[in-house]
Amino acid sequence: MPLQNTNALIDHLDESFATAPDQVASSAYIEMQRLIAEDEATAREWLYLQLAVDAVQDAGLREQVAAVRKQWEVQKDQAVTYEQHAATIPAGGRVRHLYRNMMRVAACAVLIAGGACIFKYVTLSSSSLYSEYYNAYELNTSRGAATQDAMERAYAGKNWTAVLSLFSTGKDRNNKTDFLSGIADLELKKFDDAIGHFEQVIASNSHSGGDYFEDEAEYYLAISWLAKNKVNEAMPILEKIKANKDHLYHDKVEKMSFTDLRLVQYKENK
Amino acid sequence: MKVAEKYTDAELISAISSGKDLNPAILFLYQHYSEATRSFIMSYGGNEQDADDVFQETVVAFIDSVKKGKYRQEASVKTFLVSVAKHVWFNELKKKERAGFREKQFESTRDQQEQDVSHQIGDLEQKQQLRDLLSQLGEPCQKLLLLFYYENLSMKEITAHLPYENEQVVRNKKYKCLQQLTGMIKANPVIAEQLNALIK
Repeated sequence: MPLQNTNALIDHLDESFATAPDQVASSAYIEMQRLIAEDEATAREWLYLQLAVDAVQDAGLREQVAAVRKQWEVQKDQAVTYEQHAATIPAGGRVRHLYRNMMRVAACAVLIAGGACIFKYVTLSSSSLYSEYYNAYELNTSRGAATQDAMERAYAGKNWTAVLSLFSTGKDRNNKTDFLSGIADLELKKFDDAIGHFEQVIASNSHSGGDYFEDEAEYYLAISWLAKNKVNEAMPILEKIKANKDHLYHDKVEKMSFTDLRLVQYKENK
Repeated sequence: MKVAEKYTDAELISAISSGKDLNPAILFLYQHYSEATRSFIMSYGGNEQDADDVFQETVVAFIDSVKKGKYRQEASVKTFLVSVAKHVWFNELKKKERAGFREKQFESTRDQQEQDVSHQIGDLEQKQQLRDLLSQLGEPCQKLLLLFYYENLSMKEITAHLPYENEQVVRNKKYKCLQQLTGMIKANPVIAEQLNALIK
């Protein structure tokens, strides 16, 4: 089927999602419906497109259910821990005195632990995790200052504004200039701009099939989402890094507290 | 444990159909119905992980069935979920080729309700194949298609999430991504055969 016709079918598919059942359909819409009913090639293409969209919606739903499942598992684990703790408190008559003291100690422990949990719950946020896990990226300077370009020199001197200015005026943009500009944006708390730069690196690699600054961009993209209080965006990236032992930032991510991350996720999804 | 919102069956179906605030409905399903399927799965050779995975699959199939208007509400949500879980687990057992005694024993416990759900939840095997194909798409394409077809974001809203200059760039990229995915589906012989049978 010619590309233009396929695009027209895609537009028709999108229109069918946007059109309410009681809405009067446009003549173009009716014409396309007729074509689907009468032309076998169009009908076939239409089915394939619907299958593709079904696959996307199925994947989206699956991700959403998996996220709630994780939240539920965290809640369940917390409830089990509480029940196990309650079960360890002894009951009986002969050791009432000891029992009472143990109860007092247990109550204090529960209060202290509860207080600590409440404090942690209240103070924990994506941005607090960002502050905990963010470390500025150190540029490899093994080539020596003489061979550094202007952007590298500005970066090494922590002149973040100059880094961004060189990026916006520079003609030779590549993953490295995008990445360094992303870090400069992070340092200047311009998180949206930082995210744009890191995603550009990833998109560029996806397009070219390369991996130049890929691992660095992925890690700092996750960190930027945390800075933006968007833990739901950060989690899949961090989980992906954690699952890949060859990733440059695997060890760093493995040391992160995923319990804290999930707790923040729970708080933010509430 | 945080208690999920309380729903009657009708309220649950309505919340899922509207699709506006799905998370509380999903949490409700987990809190109220996951145990009902767990004991069944574990008594038929599954472990806790299997039970959790089957229930996740069950919830996805149930929500999908409700959203597509295939859920007929002939039985309670709980009964339906248990039937779907049985169906999912039976398919899983077949896949794992744990045939023989267990499966025969299991087969004898299948009731009409459970066999009936397969019409309401669609072809799980095909869904799995489609998922595999989607996962072969590049991440930017997957993300773009998810934002548009699952999150229902407009082209303009997508420009705020992905590094594309304007709406037209997003639109063109979406065309390409969807065509790439349909191309992969067309190249899958099993799915192509199923579709051919459907068209003829």
